[in-house]
Amino acid sequence: MYVHRPDGPTCAPPAGLAPSPPVLAGRRIGILDNRKPNADVLLNRLADRLARRTGAVVTLVEVKNAAVPCEDQVLGRLAEEVELVLTGTAD
Amino acid sequence: MSVDTTNLLEIPDDGDVTASLAVHGWGDGLPMVAPTPERVAEMLSGCGGADPDEVVAVLPPRFGEASRQTIAVSAVMAGCRPEHLPVVVSAVRALARPELNLRGVNATTHCVAPLLVVHGEVARTAGYNGGLGAFGPGNRANAATGRAVRLVLLHVAGATPGDGDASTQGGPAKYGYCVAENLDASPWAGYAPSVGVDAPSAVTVHCGEAPHNVHDMESDHPARILDKVASAMTTTAQNNACISQGEYLVALCPEHAATCARAGWSRRDVSSYLFQQARLPAGELTRAFDLRAWAPWMEHLDDDAPTPMTSHPGNIRILVVGGAGKHSSVVPSWGMTRSVTLPVEP
Repeated sequence: MYVHRPDGPTCAPPAGLAPSPPVLAGRRIGILDNRKPNADVLLNRLADRLARRTGAVVTLVEVKNAAVPCEDQVLGRLAEEVELVLTGTAD
Repeated sequence: MSVDTTNLLEIPDDGDVTASLAVHGWGDGLPMVAPTPERVAEMLSGCGGADPDEVVAVLPPRFGEASRQTIAVSAVMAGCRPEHLPVVVSAVRALARPELNLRGVNATTHCVAPLLVVHGEVARTAGYNGGLGAFGPGNRANAATGRAVRLVLLHVAGATPGDGDASTQGGPAKYGYCVAENLDASPWAGYAPSVGVDAPSAVTVHCGEAPHNVHDMESDHPARILDKVASAMTTTAQNNACISQGEYLVALCPEHAATCARAGWSRRDVSSYLFQQARLPAGELTRAFDLRAWAPWMEHLDDDAPTPMTSHPGNIRILVVGGAGKHSSVVPSWGMTRSVTLPVEP
C-alpha cells in the first residue's frame, strides 16, 4: 500500500546563526538574559570565564522575556555593539 | 485509479498501519487511518477546488510548510470527514498568526494546547458538538478535528515531545481539543461577530490549559455564579498568575449564561465583572512568584492592593458551551499568547 507522507517540506528559518569568530581576543561579548530562573547567574559566570580565558570583553547585557520573540530594537543593539551573544537557558 | 508513487511511501498491505507510520516518528500513539492517495483526494474534496499545493501556513519550530494537501494527510490519519477539512485548514491558518505565538506555545514547559471553538453554520452542517459533553468523547467532528490539528503540529510543525514540544508533563488536551459554541442555547449573539468576524462560519483558536470546572447548582443571581468563575481564575497555580496580562476563555454552560442574561447582563458585563472580581492582593502574588512578567506599574503596588489577573476586561472571553446542568469552565491561556478567530474558509 502507498501512503502520503504527513510532514511535507520545510522552508528556511527566518534567521540562522552567524559563523563563530575564529579568535575571541578583543571581541565584544553580549549577554541576552531571557529571565529564566538563574539565567543571569549562569550567563554572567559563563561570560566572565570566557572573557578571562580568551581576552574578549563583556560590553552589553540585555534582558528579554523567554516566552516571546526578542524585540527588534534589542536584536539591533546586539548586532551593532557585540560580536558574540550568550543566551538560551531553560527552566 | 492510476497514481504517481514518486513521493509516496510504501507500507505493508497487511501490516499495522500505525506501527508502520510510527517508525518514521509520525502519529500520536492512537491507531490511525492510512493516508492513501484515494483517501487524501477524497479529503481534499472538502476544500472544493482550492489549490491543494498552496501553503496556508508555515509552522515553527520545524518551519514546516502546511499546504492543504499536507493538512489533508493528517486529517485522514485523524479520522476526519471531508466536511471537517475547512475547519482544520482555518485553524492551522490561525496557528500561524504572530499574536498566537506558536513558537512559544510549542517551546514552553507548560501544558498548553490549542483549543478550537467552532462557530456558526459549519458547526451544524459538519456535526460539531457544542451541547452536552462537548469537551468529552462521543462526537466524531470534535474528536477528529482536534486530533487533526494536533497531528499537523506533530508532523508539520515538528512539535514532538522532547524535540519540538518541551511540556514537562504534556496533557490530555494535547491529543485533541475542539468544541463548538452552543449558539442555539446562548442568550447572546455569536462569539465570532463579537470579536469582529462576521462570517457564516468561524473558528477560534485559544491556546490554554485544560478546562477548570466551575460548579454552581443553586444561584439565581449572576454575581454568585461569576464569583466562583473568578475564584477559578485566581488560582496561583495557573500560568496567567505570574503574567497578569493573559487571556481567559470562560465557557459558560447555558443555564449559567441564562441566569446572567435574565438579570440583564450582556457578554461585556460578564467580562467587566470578572475583571473586577478576579483579583488577588499584590503581596500574595509577589510571595508566590519571584519571576513575574508584570507591567511596570504593578511592581509598585502595596501588598494589600487588589491586583487584576489580566490587563483588560477584553482579555476575558465569554461564550456558551455545554448542555443541561450547572457546570461551566475556565480555560486560562498559557499567558504569552492571544486567541485568534478566523472565518472558516477552504
